[in-house]
Amino acid sequence: MSHDSHHAPVACKTELAPERSDLGLYRPDRATGWTDWLTTVDHKKIGILYGAFAMLYFLIGGVEALAIRTQLARPDNDFVTARMYNQLFTMHGTTMIFLGVMPLSAAFFNFLVPLQVGARDVAFPRLNAFSLWTFVFGAFVLNASWLFEFGHLAGWFDSFAWHKALVYTDFAPANGWFSYAPLSGTFGANGQALRFTGVGTDFWIIGIQVLGIASLAASFNFICTIINMRAKGMTMMRLPVFTWMALVTSVLIILAFPAITVALIELMFDRAFGANFFNPSAGGQPVLWQHLFWIFGHPEVYILVLPAMGIVSEVLPTFSGKSLFGYPIIVFSGAVIGFLGFAVWSHHMFTTGLGPVPTAAFSLLTMAIAVPTGVKIFNWLGTIWGGRIRFTPPMVLALGFIWMFMCGGFSGVMHSSAPADSQQQDSYFVIAHFHYVLLGGVLLGLMAGLYFWFPKIFGRMPNAPVAYLGSALVILGFNLAFGPMHYLGLAGQPRRTHTYHAGNGWETWNYVATIGAYILGIGVVIVFGNLVWTAFRGKKCGSDPWDGRTLEWSLPSPVPEYNFAQAPVVATRDAFFEHKHGAKKIGLENDGGEAGVHMPSQSWMPMVASAGFLFIGFGMPMMAMGIPHAGWLVISGLGVLFLGIWLWALEGPGGYMLKTPAPSGAPAPAETVAH
Amino acid sequence: MSDTAAAHEAPTSTGIDHKKLIMWLFLASDCMFFGTLISTHLLYRKLFPAGFTDAEGHQRFIQDLFSIELTSFSTFILLMSSFLMALAVSAMHKGQVKSFRRNVLGVIVFGLIFLGCQVFEFTHFYHKGLTIQNSVLGSTFYVLTGTHGTHVAIGVLWLILLYFYSFTGKLGGHMGALDVEVAGLYWHFVDIVWIIIFTAVYLVEYLGPYGIWGSGLPAVVK
Repeated sequence: MSHDSHHAPVACKTELAPERSDLGLYRPDRATGWTDWLTTVDHKKIGILYGAFAMLYFLIGGVEALAIRTQLARPDNDFVTARMYNQLFTMHGTTMIFLGVMPLSAAFFNFLVPLQVGARDVAFPRLNAFSLWTFVFGAFVLNASWLFEFGHLAGWFDSFAWHKALVYTDFAPANGWFSYAPLSGTFGANGQALRFTGVGTDFWIIGIQVLGIASLAASFNFICTIINMRAKGMTMMRLPVFTWMALVTSVLIILAFPAITVALIELMFDRAFGANFFNPSAGGQPVLWQHLFWIFGHPEVYILVLPAMGIVSEVLPTFSGKSLFGYPIIVFSGAVIGFLGFAVWSHHMFTTGLGPVPTAAFSLLTMAIAVPTGVKIFNWLGTIWGGRIRFTPPMVLALGFIWMFMCGGFSGVMHSSAPADSQQQDSYFVIAHFHYVLLGGVLLGLMAGLYFWFPKIFGRMPNAPVAYLGSALVILGFNLAFGPMHYLGLAGQPRRTHTYHAGNGWETWNYVATIGAYILGIGVVIVFGNLVWTAFRGKKCGSDPWDGRTLEWSLPSPVPEYNFAQAPVVATRDAFFEHKHGAKKIGLENDGGEAGVHMPSQSWMPMVASAGFLFIGFGMPMMAMGIPHAGWLVISGLGVLFLGIWLWALEGPGGYMLKTPAPSGAPAPAETVAH
Repeated sequence: MSDTAAAHEAPTSTGIDHKKLIMWLFLASDCMFFGTLISTHLLYRKLFPAGFTDAEGHQRFIQDLFSIELTSFSTFILLMSSFLMALAVSAMHKGQVKSFRRNVLGVIVFGLIFLGCQVFEFTHFYHKGLTIQNSVLGSTFYVLTGTHGTHVAIGVLWLILLYFYSFTGKLGGHMGALDVEVAGLYWHFVDIVWIIIFTAVYLVEYLGPYGIWGSGLPAVVK
């Protein structure tokens, strides 16, 4: 190991003399600017990058949504073609779920989990960087399909021979975010692999596969961090609720993603190599795709919503001036939701004809999962009950979350009844339901989190009046857009249909929904724009502007790269709040803080390894498209991936010492507390 | 353990090393991965117990295809490789690098024998008419056992790298033993998965005169 070559402690990493890794290459430890961001292993910088990419994709997904709503504003509209419409709604759903909400949750996990458990970084800093860049490249591959689509529309490909061989020419994914077989699969006997859809589906398959790898790697890392890197005295039942929800979410990811990974492999084999997993002509069962997809897909819903629940569970106590009502029950409910989340997948498939016994069982379990969710809502109400409420921007958004999520929960319980669900299946009622859960619930929760922790991340306060305006527009526009869809769905309007004829009685509410969508769009731009402005120009603030409760608020804003100058020792839940206002509950571990803090070395290798996915991501669809020699691109991608991981292992963890400036990074008095 | 050297000495909250914990988590995830693949195969076996039709249009049964003697041999070889892996891990814990090298070389050779058997098996089945394209059985069989073979191949590659790394002198002490132990966990897991695949995909086809799916030919007809 290379740890005997440490340099003398310095206060700032740019003062370091360059250090060679075990490979003999210089580590980019002293880097600043671009190189620093590209090679960083700091969980805070990785979190910021995750957040920035997530916000970018939220805007792209939002533009897709507005194009959909513009098309539907009027009956028999021709703003986009049916073919384009299919691609828009598919990419809208895929983008929002995999490139918007999940990475934004990952941004919070990255930034907060080590701070909340009292650690200096995650368990595997370079693996964390690998997750980030794998996500970035996977997202790029998925969206690059749009570039091919635009190229096709512009006629750039018309002169290529292989282009004429394509019967179906959708270049961006066009199957819906669930890509049901056989539409996404193949037909024909003996490996003919005739397709219903174009190369967009292949981009979707490989894109989701790569994003899954990113999520899995990140989740292994977070579970390890939460279980193994807690500060002294930070027992599991003293963990902040957000960290608890990060743990449950990560467990869900590592157990649910393998199902979609396998399903994607099978579909890829069908399309690229003529296998018959979902090929009806050869006896393949398309309904198997539905099962595999929803065994992943339903836990995925909780993967999306649990982080937002965790955020709300931090925001509400802070601005009510009370501790969280029923902490153990909230934690237990979160775990039960995660557990039951694996037992309700077939409620997405009531109309496939499962038979009365499975249908009844899945109905029952779906109703049961509403119980822990309801328990959480009542606990949040109990938290604000009798509290001294401060209506700050995060609090407004968190209260909005409770209301909107509750509405989505009510229509969700309606779906759990199989006979009612048969009527609502594939109608706009379902669209209304899951947008209330995912937008009214998750997005409002995540926005609350952004406004809550931005002062910690950047040391600057968001502009409150602009935040109120943005929040109000988001909540108003959202209800205008999706409220009427309950009615439209029950009145029979089908989803995923590019237009509708006049005279069905759907015109008015579709028009209203479109107006609502534009108001929502303006609101989101204001909310995000305010945040971007805050990051660069906001008014500077102290380390604890909200009177926070958990460990991260005990650190300076922005947080120094080593987080804790000395490791904290906590003696209670909400230790920082108690420490400020009552008995001293945070001590400092004497771990030789004077000698300096050991920092992990930065590295290019995680990004090099994940760049392999870029080759694979473009190679696989081209191979399935029948472009000659495209398979070599895939093989070279695997080579790059292997090379990156190999050099990563050989370069060694490295590391350098930073001298901490006095105990300023630590909570006031340095005394040990009995616990 | 973690990338931070400070954590080398600092005990983790649970007392379990980070590297070991993350490997257990990966294996938990991999359980679901193989569980999904095996389920796919078994579902289709139940739906289509009749086997497959070869290129000449002849109905073929899975028992015609399998050479249970060969697969039993390769299964035994893989089991024994796990035994050698356990010896290699134990040697590394005692700091006996030479013993580690001997044993890990044995694991590598046994792993390669297993992979060779699989390559032979795939070629043999292909010539008997089972392709990935001509039936659902071909798709599920090749993808399931092929995925397992990929796991074995990655394990072999990993152990080869560890073997050569041990000559640099950097593989030693607690961290070296941990690195070997983590690779051992992976290897044992891949072995256990094969025991399940061997049972669920091969052995049950021989239960009773018609196989568990009620499809096979009686022994006399064969």
